[in-house]
Amino acid sequence: MSDTQLRLGIGLVVASILLPSLLGSAYWAHNFLIVNLFVTVAVAQNMLLADAGQVSFGHGAVFGMSAYLVGIISGLWGYDYAIGALAGVGGALALGLLFALPSLRVQGYYLGFVTLSAAVVFPEMLVAFNDITNGINGINRTVPSLTAPLFSGLSWLSFLVMALTVATLAGHAWLRTTSAGRKMRVAAVSPEAAMTLGLDPGRLRFLAFTIAALVTGLAGTLYVPVLGFVSPYAFRVDLSIYFFFCVIVGGQGQLLGPLIGAWILYLVPNALLADLANYRLLGYGIIALLIMLVFPDGVVGSIVSFSRRHRLRARIAGIGIDPVLSWAGIRPSQESGAAITVRGARKQFNSLAALGGVDLTVMAGSVHGLVGPNGSGKTTLLNVVSGFIPLTAGSVQVRDRDTTRMPAFRVARLGVGRTFQTPRVFEQMSIWENLEIGADVHSGNNNWLMEMLEPFRGEWSENNPDLLAHAQRRVLEILRTVASDADILLLDEPAAGLSAIERRDFARLIRFLRDRLGKTVLLVEHDLALVWKVADRITVLDAGRIVAEGPPDAIATDPRVRALFTGSPDA
Amino acid sequence: MLEVRGLHAGYGRVPVLHGIDLTVRPGEIVLVLGPNGAGKSTLLRSICGFIRPTQGSVRLDGDDVTGLAPEAITRRGMRLVLDGHRVFPELSVRDNIRLGAAFRGGRPDFEEMAAPALEMFPILREKLLSPARDLSGGQQQMLALAQAFVAQPKVLLCDEPSLGIAQALIPPILEFLRRWAARGTAVVIVEQQIDSALAVADRAVILERGEIRLSGAAEELKRDARVHAIYLGLDETEE
Amino acid sequence: MDDLLIIAVRGIGLGSIYALVGISFNVVFNASGILNFAQGNMLVLGGLFAFLVLPLAPDVTQWMIFLPLAAVALAALMAVQGGITLLPLRSSVEQHSWLITTLAASVIIGAVLLLYQGAVQQSVHSPFANFSLAGTRVPATYAASVLLALFWYVALRLFHTKLLVGLAISAIAQDMDAARAAGIRVRRLQIGAFAISGLVVGSAGFVAAPMMAIANDSGLAYVMNGFVAAVVGGLGSNLGALVGGALVGVVSMYAAFEYGGEFQNAVSLGLLVGVLMLRPQGLFGRPAARRV
Repeated sequence: MSDTQLRLGIGLVVASILLPSLLGSAYWAHNFLIVNLFVTVAVAQNMLLADAGQVSFGHGAVFGMSAYLVGIISGLWGYDYAIGALAGVGGALALGLLFALPSLRVQGYYLGFVTLSAAVVFPEMLVAFNDITNGINGINRTVPSLTAPLFSGLSWLSFLVMALTVATLAGHAWLRTTSAGRKMRVAAVSPEAAMTLGLDPGRLRFLAFTIAALVTGLAGTLYVPVLGFVSPYAFRVDLSIYFFFCVIVGGQGQLLGPLIGAWILYLVPNALLADLANYRLLGYGIIALLIMLVFPDGVVGSIVSFSRRHRLRARIAGIGIDPVLSWAGIRPSQESGAAITVRGARKQFNSLAALGGVDLTVMAGSVHGLVGPNGSGKTTLLNVVSGFIPLTAGSVQVRDRDTTRMPAFRVARLGVGRTFQTPRVFEQMSIWENLEIGADVHSGNNNWLMEMLEPFRGEWSENNPDLLAHAQRRVLEILRTVASDADILLLDEPAAGLSAIERRDFARLIRFLRDRLGKTVLLVEHDLALVWKVADRITVLDAGRIVAEGPPDAIATDPRVRALFTGSPDA
Repeated sequence: MLEVRGLHAGYGRVPVLHGIDLTVRPGEIVLVLGPNGAGKSTLLRSICGFIRPTQGSVRLDGDDVTGLAPEAITRRGMRLVLDGHRVFPELSVRDNIRLGAAFRGGRPDFEEMAAPALEMFPILREKLLSPARDLSGGQQQMLALAQAFVAQPKVLLCDEPSLGIAQALIPPILEFLRRWAARGTAVVIVEQQIDSALAVADRAVILERGEIRLSGAAEELKRDARVHAIYLGLDETEE
Repeated sequence: MDDLLIIAVRGIGLGSIYALVGISFNVVFNASGILNFAQGNMLVLGGLFAFLVLPLAPDVTQWMIFLPLAAVALAALMAVQGGITLLPLRSSVEQHSWLITTLAASVIIGAVLLLYQGAVQQSVHSPFANFSLAGTRVPATYAASVLLALFWYVALRLFHTKLLVGLAISAIAQDMDAARAAGIRVRRLQIGAFAISGLVVGSAGFVAAPMMAIANDSGLAYVMNGFVAAVVGGLGSNLGALVGGALVGVVSMYAAFEYGGEFQNAVSLGLLVGVLMLRPQGLFGRPAARRV
């Protein structure tokens, strides 16, 4: 699907630049140069919004920053165009990173508002610093060496624009196949899941903002030779909104989306209402509103989901654990002693003590069950060990490293993997990619699990996990954790929603993890039957305190535990 | 009064309920028991429209209400009291109660409609003008019940009324529910603790992993050892 | 000293517009979690209403008659906008569709203004004479706008604590699920909140029109400053919006006085970023309450 979109996209870009010139229409040739620059920025915006999950409304300002620096340095100050372009890209990068800064602290509409405000302010600053920018008069700067016709109306500039647009489209497609691109998408969909894989969402956001600013900056440098003129008017907030709408109208996340969106929003008002430039804004607004109400997936997105729905899809066999369990090797635990040590853990939420001084020792190579009624603090304790929640008092150790104050992604890098109550499975990626994210953070060279699953690669790469039933998603999430080579696994209510047979398979999988792979498992679970069967030791929590600890037999017959679970003091 | 047939439901892709049948008659108290994660809350939430069932039907007084919005179901006379004694914290006790009857239209007299609840829970009358956030958990539970009471529902569904509440406050709450049912209301109580509510219930069903494992008269289940075994995961019939 | 006094008076006057926009933001936000980007252009439409109906030298009676009409007209318009905005939320999984639909609504209103009156700024005359305060001349519009902000603060407070429908809207803000369980028709009241927000912003546009730029492209600056006021005070808190509005008004007036009018918005943006980085819950905001 994405290959088709890429090929189509490249074809459209090349044709849109070559054809008008070859057919002798200078008007359309000029317009399509502008459109392709806008497509380039929109692709960057698409990557930022859909792949990195960042709502940035201010890309017109980044674009304008680059164009204006070219104008100032090569136009007003008389330096070479190349120097201006270099500074333009640098300026765009600087502004892009400034946008990224608040993204560390706030997300969603807050970030949208900050960046939108920046886009409102940018042209005002161009006017305010008029002794540098020449104010509302703008700057004239033509670059004849680029715009001189080579043959049939085409210039070096035509090819530069074509190359940039094609490279950006192809680059976006390529980014998605890379480990960095996958990590970015994971961090966008679920920052928690990303952190449990050892990824730092903040850094990935910075990376995305940097890439977007670089591409937008490059497009900005070409804007000057195309137009021969820059003015504050061209970089008003409308331009930023236009870029954002291009992505929405085309279909966010679709490779071809921004191109189609940019074409529709630029060309439709231009072709239909060429004399009435004032109607253009109205066109943007109405098209964006209608698309959102009628085709919320955008034009390309709707076509994709329509064709998907009407294509008979071969049901895939699904993800079974049998091929994994059939693995012949044994990798016994290399460690002994305590894998996790929690001492005197207290956690206070306002007036509520979620944990009131908990000690917990999980031995390496064992399955440790953590049970208790609702609200007893099990998940809080798991979150404390993962590094999601800082303790009010007490300490946490992973092996011999103190992790009490460590952020989650650093804890994960010590080999602590985890699953969530709702499996974190990423619908936008193929099943195979969902596994590959795990392998991406694997430190060693050979990943036996991925090698073992190689026969399924073709099938799993073709299909997205939207086909998978709940139990298979659960398995996929655990396999991903195994692929990441974490040797301590924290499982949060993994058996919820599994059928009787699935639970039995699941118990086998947990034993396999311990006996054959030497993993340490901390299992938070409601399903006591499962815990009795697979756990080596069990800790019982109630109201943030430990009620009992010991081997399953002792716990199952402990009167305090019976009373706790049945609510009967006399049980 | 309330008739649930073959109900399947879940959260997103996680299936929780696998075909639940439940009938409650006017004036009857049915207790839904089960260990953690058995699907008790999910059952109440899918009966009341917070979760759209994937299969099965919910009938109220013979009318199919499956898949209606929660507010529509409440307006038809089936009221859910959510777990965790949820009230509107910034509103006064009196306003919390008033809102319970807001949809009934007209201008019902506050004293008249709330009197039975305030008699049972005198503390609410004392704190009538305090914001609900100043109440203790147990008092908030009383308030949540009073708010539901003034709606005069035909069916009341009550999710873990004893959760997070001082032991001493549980008996008056259960007594209130008993009197309420005696007025002809069909009452469903979900509880985690086995013994607390069995005393006031007429019948009980035990849920495990989204299926009804046991059901019968409350008196019989009180003595049934299998109930405890289910809670402790020691009743393995499947393997 | 005199300069500072003028800055303070004018800043609070200007800030009252931001406070009113911030309050109108809160009304919708509390009921629905939506931040309406079109709020600024709605304000401008309130101002346009004043421009259209008031003669060049209006008298107080005319002004008093048209003020409630402006509020009602904008309430009706915002109810329509609310209906459209909430439409995709009914079924779609795209929860952030409102980011786009409200931005689109803002663009559409701006575009209609552009088509209607061209790229010009209209101005409106106030029926009230200037008065003097502590030795400086204060335009009456400033006082009227401040009074209006205080009026809406009190009125909304009474509405949310005394009237059953106001209580119901507060209930939605405090616990959506519990509100639905109580039989409160959430969607209807959310549209109602859009309408109330329209009353606020429509009356604000009408009253403040003499000190506003009524133009196709001025809406975004108002929505931005109104948002900054709301965030500085603590999103959702009307008292916060009042204080935040005054703060933003005074600070940006100071910037305009010291560095030039072009820097007003830049300084607001700086204030916004500063607050978000240091105290995201704002002055009067509470950290999100935990729901166990």
